[in-house]
Amino acid sequence: MLGMEQAWLQPAICAVAFVVIALPGRVLPRSGAWLGPLAILSAFVIFWFVLSDLLKNGPATFSFTWLEAGDVRIMWGMILDNLSVSMLGLVSFVALGVQVYSWAYMSGEPRFGWYFAVHSLFAASMMVLVLADNLLFMYIAWELVGLCSYLLIGFYYERRSAAEAAKKAFVTTRIGDVGMLIGILLLYKTVGTFDISGIIHAAQHVGEPGNPLSSVMLTVSMLLIFAGAVGKSAQFPLHVWLPDAMEGPTPVSALIHAATMVVAGVYLVARMFPAFEMAPTAMTVVAVIGLITALLMSFLAVVMTDIKRVLAYSTVSHLGFMMLALGSFGVGAAIFHLFTHAFAKAMLFLSAGSVSHGVHGKLDMREMGGLRSKMPVTFACMAIGALSLAGLFPLSGFFSKDAVLGTVLAGRGPVFFILTLVAAFFSAFYMARLVLVVFTGQPRSHEAEHAHESPVLMLIPLVALALLTIGATVLAFPIAGHANFGQFIYPAGEAEHFQLWLAGLSTVTAGAGLLMGWLIYGTHAISPSFFRDRFPAVQRVLEHKYYIDDFYQWVIDHIVLGVGGFVALFDRIVINDVGINGPGRSVVQTGNKLRLHVTGQLPNYAMVMVLGAIVIGVIWWLFAVRA
Amino acid sequence: METLGEYILLILTALPFVGALALILFPTNRPKAVAPLVLVITSITLVLSVYVFVAYDRVAGGYQFIERYEWLPQIGASLHLGIDGIAAAMMLLNGVVAFTGTLVSWKLVTRPKDFFILFLLLVSGVYGTFASLDLLFFFFFYELAVLPMYLLIGVWGSTTDFKTFFRPKEYGALKLTLMLVAGSVLVWIALLAMWQQGSDSIGRLTFNFFDLREVAFPPTFQKIFFPFLFVGFGVLAGLWPFHTWSPDGHVAAPTSVSMLHAGVLMKLGAFGILRVGMELLPEGARSWGPVMIGLGSVNVIYGAVSALAQKDLKYVVGYSSVSHMGYVIMGLGTLDQIGINGAVMQMFSHGIMTALFFCMVGVIYERAHLRDITVLEGLSKRMGFAAAFLTIAGLASLGLPGLSGFAAELVVFIGIFRTYPILGVLAVIGAALTAVYILRLLGKVFFGPVSERWAHLTDASKLDIAAASILVGMLVLWGLYPLYIYRIIDSGVLPIAKRLVGG
Amino acid sequence: MTLLHTELLSAVLFVIGLYGVLARRNAVLVLMSVELMLNAVNINLIGYAAFTDPGRVLGQVLAIFVITVAAAEVGLALAIILRLYRNRGTVNLNEINLMKW
Repeated sequence: MLGMEQAWLQPAICAVAFVVIALPGRVLPRSGAWLGPLAILSAFVIFWFVLSDLLKNGPATFSFTWLEAGDVRIMWGMILDNLSVSMLGLVSFVALGVQVYSWAYMSGEPRFGWYFAVHSLFAASMMVLVLADNLLFMYIAWELVGLCSYLLIGFYYERRSAAEAAKKAFVTTRIGDVGMLIGILLLYKTVGTFDISGIIHAAQHVGEPGNPLSSVMLTVSMLLIFAGAVGKSAQFPLHVWLPDAMEGPTPVSALIHAATMVVAGVYLVARMFPAFEMAPTAMTVVAVIGLITALLMSFLAVVMTDIKRVLAYSTVSHLGFMMLALGSFGVGAAIFHLFTHAFAKAMLFLSAGSVSHGVHGKLDMREMGGLRSKMPVTFACMAIGALSLAGLFPLSGFFSKDAVLGTVLAGRGPVFFILTLVAAFFSAFYMARLVLVVFTGQPRSHEAEHAHESPVLMLIPLVALALLTIGATVLAFPIAGHANFGQFIYPAGEAEHFQLWLAGLSTVTAGAGLLMGWLIYGTHAISPSFFRDRFPAVQRVLEHKYYIDDFYQWVIDHIVLGVGGFVALFDRIVINDVGINGPGRSVVQTGNKLRLHVTGQLPNYAMVMVLGAIVIGVIWWLFAVRA
Repeated sequence: METLGEYILLILTALPFVGALALILFPTNRPKAVAPLVLVITSITLVLSVYVFVAYDRVAGGYQFIERYEWLPQIGASLHLGIDGIAAAMMLLNGVVAFTGTLVSWKLVTRPKDFFILFLLLVSGVYGTFASLDLLFFFFFYELAVLPMYLLIGVWGSTTDFKTFFRPKEYGALKLTLMLVAGSVLVWIALLAMWQQGSDSIGRLTFNFFDLREVAFPPTFQKIFFPFLFVGFGVLAGLWPFHTWSPDGHVAAPTSVSMLHAGVLMKLGAFGILRVGMELLPEGARSWGPVMIGLGSVNVIYGAVSALAQKDLKYVVGYSSVSHMGYVIMGLGTLDQIGINGAVMQMFSHGIMTALFFCMVGVIYERAHLRDITVLEGLSKRMGFAAAFLTIAGLASLGLPGLSGFAAELVVFIGIFRTYPILGVLAVIGAALTAVYILRLLGKVFFGPVSERWAHLTDASKLDIAAASILVGMLVLWGLYPLYIYRIIDSGVLPIAKRLVGG
Repeated sequence: MTLLHTELLSAVLFVIGLYGVLARRNAVLVLMSVELMLNAVNINLIGYAAFTDPGRVLGQVLAIFVITVAAAEVGLALAIILRLYRNRGTVNLNEINLMKW
């Protein structure tokens, strides 16, 4: 019978699908692409067996040796607890939905099979990431999902911008990963294990006699590991890659850059939470980074005109919410928000894809408008997603945002709380703007006038996700013997209690945001240029994304490549020309000078011979005869 | 198989040599028959290499497949062959790279007979070096492997000509040979000193590795002569600041020669440091270890940063080799069992990876007659296979998990972190820099709009694809399941590590 | 006649020959001067043989060897000079520098 012990089958099936599609796939009908959805479907089926086994028998771990060198032994193992299995469900479900959607969305594209091959590889790696029971194994999967992200962002590699975005994504996340790998190795050096449970055990007894792990070391390594999460989850200041990642096909954005891969950082911190908890400084950093990200990126989402970029900045901002919740000691709230956000945002991206499908590939909101009657299903889904993210009762986003706000207030105090409310307000505002600009008013382009609803195959996942966005509300209520989903995920934490005043406050904030959006973009009671005209400097800074991208570009162009050029020149001139060619040339020059004595004149030679003989004679006389 | 096991190392070493001699007698007017003949030879050696690797008994450990023929007993020299776990892995590497190298140069038009004579001599020299347990023959084979390179590059190489930067192939050939020979001189001095000192203390003349291993060389002697070996072999391993032959030489060399040279020959240097330097002079290695790891870290960062600024595809790969060999030197410099394990694995992994790199760069150059990454653009549309293989090589190079590069670098990192954590940080940063220049290269050459200028290019030929597939198979196999090869390597590293620890 | 006389004669002859080799620019004259020097040696050999060697043969045998070798040498040298003259139209040593760097 299938159970937790067979959980490895899920990534394995997807990995096999990748290999088959990528290698002999082209001889199969439709490049064998159908293997992708088929594999993820079977993984999704297995998930239910795993889940029921988990609920019956409780958490478990399994492992086998992967690498052994000297006394270093690295295992491949799985950890199956409430957190990982829930994530497993999320990953396999969203991946399934997105692949079904892609079947219609991507039809007619070149490299159809390749697309599904990478999707399968992604699903496999993401599941491994979720299941991994040691940091190293997780790092492996971590890099592999990064690779898939790279390949899929650069799917339309003929576009220079897509190739650049792919590179940017990989390199930026890699910067975080360097920190993460250093952190992992430091922990290994001190604790002597990669096992998450072992590290957590050592961390919980930090500072005790006989424990090699000092409190400073714990803080340093947790911060380094958090650097990996910052990169992967696009937190400030490594957030720059995610908006650019929208160069990939839209379903990819839905799956990888909204619902699954980008939450890996959140998952990592949640997984390591007991260790983070023991390092208060690291926790503060997590909270501050989360808050900065949530706040700054929600402002940017307001000024973007590309529909996918609005969603991208919204994603970054909401990832900030999750980090903030984690930094406020609320694992349950963070993961709860992760789930509701994943459903809503995946759906929003798929809707955006549906919209751009309807208007023949346009992505600029200024060229849309009035699509409500032409694309009713898409409109309904997008509205549900937007309202959920805005945090309107009774959608699931309301409950998760409420949990986050409660956690922040309890864990970090009023200043954090108020700033979080500001971010939530803008979250509601830009969502209202998005929906209103795209779906109401007059069509503003030829394509928008002739828009059409998307095929059924694309609408099915949309509707399923919409239902889930509404249905995920049940997660706020008692589940499987726990007070709510948050406590199911992290039983050690305290369950947040529903506070009426908090719920009221958050509803008012969301309502205010939506109302402002309605006034500006719905009724045009306030001109959209009202704020722009009054604060041109703010507008300029926002449109340049706080100049962060420009700054990074400058650093790369002038500092990184400058140093590279300098070293290359140093290598060529100092090491090569002076150090290597120099001795060679001086030998040649000495030879050139020495050969001048060869005159070719016979009398010269004779004279030298005679002189030589005389010298020898004199020496002989001096030393042999006289002595 | 009993008898085969007894003679297998001799066959491996001698077969390419005999093949080269046979080729000399081969009629010049039948150039087409040369490559198949060579392929037969290299496939036999490949099969035997795999056999040696698989049949090596890692539980028993130590030196196996030993055979010995007296050669000049008056000075204590004998043809003494045998391999440990480290050499077993290197044998496999050489078998694979030589075989794929033959496939790649199948279509060679210019004087194929002469080319393959030198090629086979080189292969024979490499096998001999890995298998020799006699310092005289070790040196002989070492030189045999190094010297054919001069002609191979000088005659069949290619000249780099950017308008502002001109490097004739003769320059590359000359520099490579002179620098390596200079290194050999240092090695030879140290070998003779060890012969003299060892023979004195034993009481009879001997070049034999086993005899010399029993000799307790005085600490001062070890401290003086270890640097000779380290620098001498280090030149071949691309040690900074003696690395400049490597980019220039590899750039000038024809494809299969680059493959063999960067893939296998550079490993001879590291292997020499390990086998002769560290195993025979452990005390010297102990006192010079910090210098080794320091220079190694310079290699890593310096190579990676230099690669950032290169415009020529092959120069990028050449500097990347300098950077990756830095990990090998760092791993050796830890003097730690884990670090050395990682270093050996990195030797293997880099050999395969870099062979794949040069193989695919060769494919591109052959078709575009250009290696300038600022000019090449959007090639993946026309050259899907080449793009895929070069991407895989690049990913292995930047340490992507699932490919053998990661399995190697990770263990090196662990070894460094256990000994010098600060340098470990540098090493990890080096890996990140690799990502930058590799992705920059891939992005420029393969992605972006398809230009009219490159529309006529054809994809890699079937033989190239076959060769690359074998290499990719190796990368993936040991990337996903490094346990097997690590156990074999570890059986060879363990005794060396013990000698390095015990005074 | 004593040993001194033969030695003196030999020395004078040798120095004349040496002068010829160093000062003359004509290859044939240089060659002839070389012959003079060889003969100076011969005289020396024979002189010593006559006055110090009881058997009086050793030096004479050596002298015959020298004469033989000299003959061969002259033959070779003249041939070279002939070829030089044919090729370059001169036997002036100042104008012949084939071995110059």
